[in-house]
Amino acid sequence: MGYRTYLLRRAFYALIVLFVILSFNFALFRLMPGDPTSLIIDPRFTPEAKALLEKQFGLNDHPIVQYGKYLWSLLRFDLGRSFASQRPVRQELMERLPNTISLFLTSFVFMAGIGIAIGVFAAARRGSFTETFVTGAGLFTYAVPTFFFQLLLLMLFGYYIRIFPIHGTVSAPPPEGFWPQVLDRLHHLVLPAGSNVIIGFGSWALYTRNAMLEALSQDYIITARAKGLSQRAVLYRHALRSVLPPIVTLVFLSLPGLVTGAVITETIFSWHGVGRYLIDAVLKQDFPAAQGAFYLIAIAVIVSNFLADLVYGLVDPRIRVAGEQA
Amino acid sequence: MPFFEVRDLTMYYQTLRGQVKAVDGVSFSLEKGKALGIAGESGCGKSSMALTLLRLLPNNGRILAGSIAMDGMSLLDMPEETFRKTIRWKRISMIFQGAMNALNPVHRIGNQIVEAILTHEDVSREEAVKRTHDLLNMVGISPKRFGDYPHEFSGGMKQRVVIAMALACNPDLVIADEPTTALDVIVQAQVLKAIEDLRSRLQLSMILITHDLSVIAQFCDDVAIMYAGKIVERGSAGDVYSRPLHPYTAGLVRAFPNIAAGRSIIRSIPGSPPNLVDPPAGCRFHPRCPLADDRCRAEEPVLTARSGGHAVACHKVDVLAGGRDIWQEQPQSA
Repeated sequence: MGYRTYLLRRAFYALIVLFVILSFNFALFRLMPGDPTSLIIDPRFTPEAKALLEKQFGLNDHPIVQYGKYLWSLLRFDLGRSFASQRPVRQELMERLPNTISLFLTSFVFMAGIGIAIGVFAAARRGSFTETFVTGAGLFTYAVPTFFFQLLLLMLFGYYIRIFPIHGTVSAPPPEGFWPQVLDRLHHLVLPAGSNVIIGFGSWALYTRNAMLEALSQDYIITARAKGLSQRAVLYRHALRSVLPPIVTLVFLSLPGLVTGAVITETIFSWHGVGRYLIDAVLKQDFPAAQGAFYLIAIAVIVSNFLADLVYGLVDPRIRVAGEQA
Repeated sequence: MPFFEVRDLTMYYQTLRGQVKAVDGVSFSLEKGKALGIAGESGCGKSSMALTLLRLLPNNGRILAGSIAMDGMSLLDMPEETFRKTIRWKRISMIFQGAMNALNPVHRIGNQIVEAILTHEDVSREEAVKRTHDLLNMVGISPKRFGDYPHEFSGGMKQRVVIAMALACNPDLVIADEPTTALDVIVQAQVLKAIEDLRSRLQLSMILITHDLSVIAQFCDDVAIMYAGKIVERGSAGDVYSRPLHPYTAGLVRAFPNIAAGRSIIRSIPGSPPNLVDPPAGCRFHPRCPLADDRCRAEEPVLTARSGGHAVACHKVDVLAGGRDIWQEQPQSA
């Protein structure tokens, strides 16, 4: 099987997965208890007004018709209007997406970067006190429940020692000028991103450490040392380079986890992002909004899985070349 | 003074169960341009010795005593950094089991050779690449394959790449650790022939470590037989094979079929090698030896030279010197 066939096949699977997720999404919200119109309809409205509204939103159509309309609009990225705010869901999501991306990209880059660096360090100094300490610390923070730790930080640095804002993405009203605004956003970013890094770095460090130790016990490491290479060259050029394929894959595979992890972090820090939008939508029985948010998350998951497949082929010569030969 | 001399080399691994006496008072020497074969069963300490010679021991491996000298230079007293830069690969290189995992799977084979050259010599990359092409040619691999990865080669070809890599810095001494294990016999013969040709062409000194006596017979001048961390017999290949003086050597030789001789029954040596954490007292071979008596169980024999540099560590040396076939007489039981 050539690399191209392989990729086409992966892409086809991705589309099937997307279709299945969308169908579940559709069914899920219609099976939930509660009446969506109750949120916008005043109890004093006449039944006629209610019926009119249900007709406007297409809630009286046969579910199959609703399903057909639903798929067709999603294909055009038309996510409908939110029941709650009456604004187009796409527009609301697009406002929030940059906030989610900035929070999670920052968390992710530091989390993975620090974690991998610590993992390499721990593997190189196996058995030392520092190694025991950093891996222990990593395990500890990994085991602490996210929400508990974040609430603790919030209380400590937002309330007792007021050095960071306790909620929001920017100050209201935002400061004048470009740079003050950037700084203000960064200021708001410290606690949520920092807590993510502290919670998440451990699993990266442990994964990297174990992969590195495994690599360091291979015969080719003895070869590299026998060649008289420096400790540094052996560690980076030989050991780290050979564990790069699984690590890079892990990077891409964990991207969707970040999007979904957004739900907790964004709720706790009142972050104006997609995760919190989803929570609000679910609580308000806001079908289009929740479906839109889920659609976005589903696409993020599927695209990152696909990228992981693609990138693995690029960093691991054993896969890359097998493709070229076919 | 011999070109390469090892004296009383002792290296133990420190483990939770105690010290593993992997290399225990080993001595041998090697003249320039000669090949020495070191033979023994798996786990007798021969590979540990190879690693000790290049000072590549894992953290729990300690060199406790002895000396290694090359051209009169003491290699064990050298600071690690000096040893790494001036001795490893530059003067002593190693041929590993290439069929296994000796080459890094994520680097192009050419670059793995270039890397060795650039580490030790002050040449441009172009120069190193050119030399790598020559090296590949020399072992019969097309330089066009410079950019290929290890998984694109067969076991025999990987072994050739490993050989080319070992010769990259024109070393004085090459240690080959099981260079043909895991290859089928035909490829094995080709690889051995390649090593032998290069060795005579480049006047290399070589230490060949293997469990395969026939490989040593084929192209080593001298042979040392190792048992349980010690050298039990040493001498020219001809002497040791035709007139073994140690019961263990005699057993090993008997265990190999001789294609030229008539039909004979292949016999193995009963028992298995001892645990090196707690080796038997006295002669380490005594539990498996048909000649063992109280003295063998109590007193450790010393490697003693007899005629023509043939040395043996056995209290019963006169029995074998007298030409008795001690393994023939033994009823073979499990």
